[in-house]
Amino acid sequence: MKNLHLPLIALTTALLVAAMAVADNKVEIKPPPEGSVTVEQGLQAWSRIYEVASHPRCANCHTGESDRPMWSGPSYGKTRVHGMNIRAGASRVGAEYLLCSTCHTTKSEDWQNANSVAHAAPRVAMNWALAPVEAHWFGRSTEQICEQLREPLTNGNRSMLEIAEHLNHDLILHWAWAPGGGREPAPYSLQEHVNDILTWGVADTPCPQD
Amino acid sequence: MQITVNGEAHDVDVEPEMPLLWVLRDELGITGPKYGCGIAQCGACTVHINGYAIRSCQLAIGDLKGREVTTIEGLGSPESLHIVQEAWIDNQVAQCGYCQSGQIMQAASFLATKPDPNDEDIDAAMSGNLCRCGTYPRIRAAVKAAAKKLQES
Repeated sequence: MKNLHLPLIALTTALLVAAMAVADNKVEIKPPPEGSVTVEQGLQAWSRIYEVASHPRCANCHTGESDRPMWSGPSYGKTRVHGMNIRAGASRVGAEYLLCSTCHTTKSEDWQNANSVAHAAPRVAMNWALAPVEAHWFGRSTEQICEQLREPLTNGNRSMLEIAEHLNHDLILHWAWAPGGGREPAPYSLQEHVNDILTWGVADTPCPQD
Repeated sequence: MQITVNGEAHDVDVEPEMPLLWVLRDELGITGPKYGCGIAQCGACTVHINGYAIRSCQLAIGDLKGREVTTIEGLGSPESLHIVQEAWIDNQVAQCGYCQSGQIMQAASFLATKPDPNDEDIDAAMSGNLCRCGTYPRIRAAVKAAAKKLQES
């Protein structure tokens, strides 16, 4: 009888640890050893990265030349531009018109329930913003995003290790996995996504079109 | 905790997650900012934090972190109206008036950073403030009139 409880205890512990990891926003950055990842494994990692990058929680704010954030995904119904005629301007934070932070206010890092109310403007522990123009993901193919992300001229001049660090430090990105308010989170987990970025990097960033 | 509203310091005993709007209206009796939707969809609760427009229903009092709050009550005074308030009266913008304090606070913040806006700029800055009476043409006219006065002053 005692043994029957072990899987339940293990599951409960695992869920608790996972919940704590989300709450703490801690990410381990541990790339695989150089030469340990095949091209095929790298492409598999890329495939998962693309699932994340093209997911509405990420792509809706990666709109390229357009300064209009998008509303799309299962929790938004029909794909459309952000309501209220919102424009992020060249500043990408709406400084020319209406600051993103007017509604997407900045919350304390330790406040976990800030986004529990459906339809309220999401808030994170840093200023809300649209991604840079060159990081154009919305509506783009796996080949296009792959090329954009591995090219230093369009990825913020970052190595894969630096992209993993960027994912760790920029708290607005963490929101994608804990969006609240009935919104569908990005697939996998932040840690799994970071692991995939590192794996893809060690495989020398292969793309499907190579 | 202590907060400064319209230049006056107040001590309030509230939970840090209480929205600023609740503190203003229910704790301090400052009722210019209105409750419309509670989720940053209408703009009726707009106030200034260090001069920038913020939907006060979305900012937890614990996240104010010492910054100064200005409400419509502190924007101007009956003896010395803010230029945007003057323009609102000149253009007889308000109908029922419920959204107007939010509209005026948004317009004042916008014009402080963009004193010479065109119609497209005004629409982009003001579209997050809803008006069920549909006074939008008069709002735009008042913002343009206020901008002109700001440039002349």
